[in-house]
Amino acid sequence: MPAKKLTAVFVFLSVASLLAPGLAAQDAPLSPGSVNFNLPANSPLELKSVTMSDSHTTARGAALMLDLHMSLTLRNGSQNRIHGVTLRVVSQEVTIGGKGWVTYPSLNVGPGEAFPVRIDMQLMRPSQITTGTLVQVDLDGVLFQDLSFFGPDRLNSRRTMTASEMEAQRDRDHFKRVLAQSGKSGLQREILESIVRQSEFSQLVVTVKRAGRAVTSAAVSPEHTAEFAFLQFPDSPVAPVEGWAQLAGNEARAPHINVRNNSGKPVKYVEMGWVVSDQSGRQYMAASVPSAEPTLNLPPGKTARLDQDTSLSFTSKGQPVNVQKMMGFVNQVEFADGRVWVPNRQNLDNAILQKVLPPSAEEQRLTELYRKRGIETLVQELAKF
Amino acid sequence: MTHPNQATLALHAGGDLRLWARWNTERHLSNCDLCRDEVAAFAGVREILPELAEIPEVPWNRLAAEIRANIRLGLAAGECIHAVQAPLRQSPLFTGARAALAFASIVVMVVTGLTLTRPSPVAGKEDPLVQATEDGIQIRAGGQAFRLMNVGAKDVTYSASADGSMGARYVDPETGYVTINNVYVQ
Repeated sequence: MPAKKLTAVFVFLSVASLLAPGLAAQDAPLSPGSVNFNLPANSPLELKSVTMSDSHTTARGAALMLDLHMSLTLRNGSQNRIHGVTLRVVSQEVTIGGKGWVTYPSLNVGPGEAFPVRIDMQLMRPSQITTGTLVQVDLDGVLFQDLSFFGPDRLNSRRTMTASEMEAQRDRDHFKRVLAQSGKSGLQREILESIVRQSEFSQLVVTVKRAGRAVTSAAVSPEHTAEFAFLQFPDSPVAPVEGWAQLAGNEARAPHINVRNNSGKPVKYVEMGWVVSDQSGRQYMAASVPSAEPTLNLPPGKTARLDQDTSLSFTSKGQPVNVQKMMGFVNQVEFADGRVWVPNRQNLDNAILQKVLPPSAEEQRLTELYRKRGIETLVQELAKF
Repeated sequence: MTHPNQATLALHAGGDLRLWARWNTERHLSNCDLCRDEVAAFAGVREILPELAEIPEVPWNRLAAEIRANIRLGLAAGECIHAVQAPLRQSPLFTGARAALAFASIVVMVVTGLTLTRPSPVAGKEDPLVQATEDGIQIRAGGQAFRLMNVGAKDVTYSASADGSMGARYVDPETGYVTINNVYVQ
């Protein structure tokens, strides 16, 4: 290569190398090609449109922040009414060893109808180099009105959406019963009571770590073993027997709960609710304790242990919540045949649970509908089911 | 009577004076016996000088020949080098190797500068954890994070699970549908 050309190439590369970091540090929009949507060929859902307005990358020091705001329009291409959808969201860019998914329960989408959903996410990573597809969105499952299911179910979305649908049916039936017995004013009172309960509901800020102790300001306390007290539901197919966890200040670690199958059918999944009390006696919903084994087999009359080797730390309004007492209750049971049990309204009509347990997704939706559109719209909505 | 100096008498003995100085000196010598004796003495020294060159302990002639040969050798060697070497300015300023080396040096300098001025967080040493943030839930480890956001949502219900997952449930203000974001750390 002639000396003059070499000189020009050298000067260009030198200038480019000096300017490149500065150019990369600027904000840049993200193209639709940054996200790949994967719906199976025989999927009951069709992707009608995707918009990614306001999606962009932002440099923060040496790190890069990717803001993705996706608005999707999906169409029900099946002959059944869709009551739930789960989309799996995977980032090839951030390799922490985690995953995310978005579930839309309490849907009521008829054949041929379209409905909008949104996915808002952020990815942060140390490198400022972006290449190719940033995010992959896959269909994990679709739940229909008759509780039939379509999808790979890699995230156990069949069980999760079935449980959510059972809770939705339970709460719709409850409100329909109130409407039938006490009229619109009675339904209005019931809804207002739910809104008040939701406003008084105080949540813990929980951090979950896979193993070992989380490091917080109150984590220096000595660790001790504390036992669970249990709230028993008469109609629960599974009963808690005994349980304990390691407590240290505002941290709880490695919960273990033994449960017995009191039903006549084999059980393949159990999930316990976990309530904690602080020094002042105030109670909070801390977490759920699911069975760890992906294929739990609990025959009738037998006992199994729910083990989780994780560490949870609790704060409220920026202050650590030191755990003094713990209480557990059966929150969800899945039988081997795929049917799901959830507590009924009578079970939940408990002084403690009324304070700590959030409303179901359907009760949250119906109260929001009442808040925005009033009692008439709510009555019409209940009549659709 | 003024006598010529010793240097003039010596030059006169060797015949090295110019015309006017020689005529003037000869006119003085014709009338001065003392100066004539001095000139005769200088002429006698000149006669013995060739004999000094033949003294065996100091081989002046051989030394002179060797010095002359060495000078000629040096000049010949210089000629040879001059004929083989191209002038320095005829080589290009940026050959491929020089340009690559210079570019690599600049890249190293820029990367070092960026690293020193903007240190990146250390990733990989920190165990991943799941937690709620101001407007979402996230998996975080070191400098990496994966967040699902509840943009514009009110009354968000967070739920944690001891299996390492976390959920955020809310009614989407735009679509009106209940949305549950979930993150899970393996």
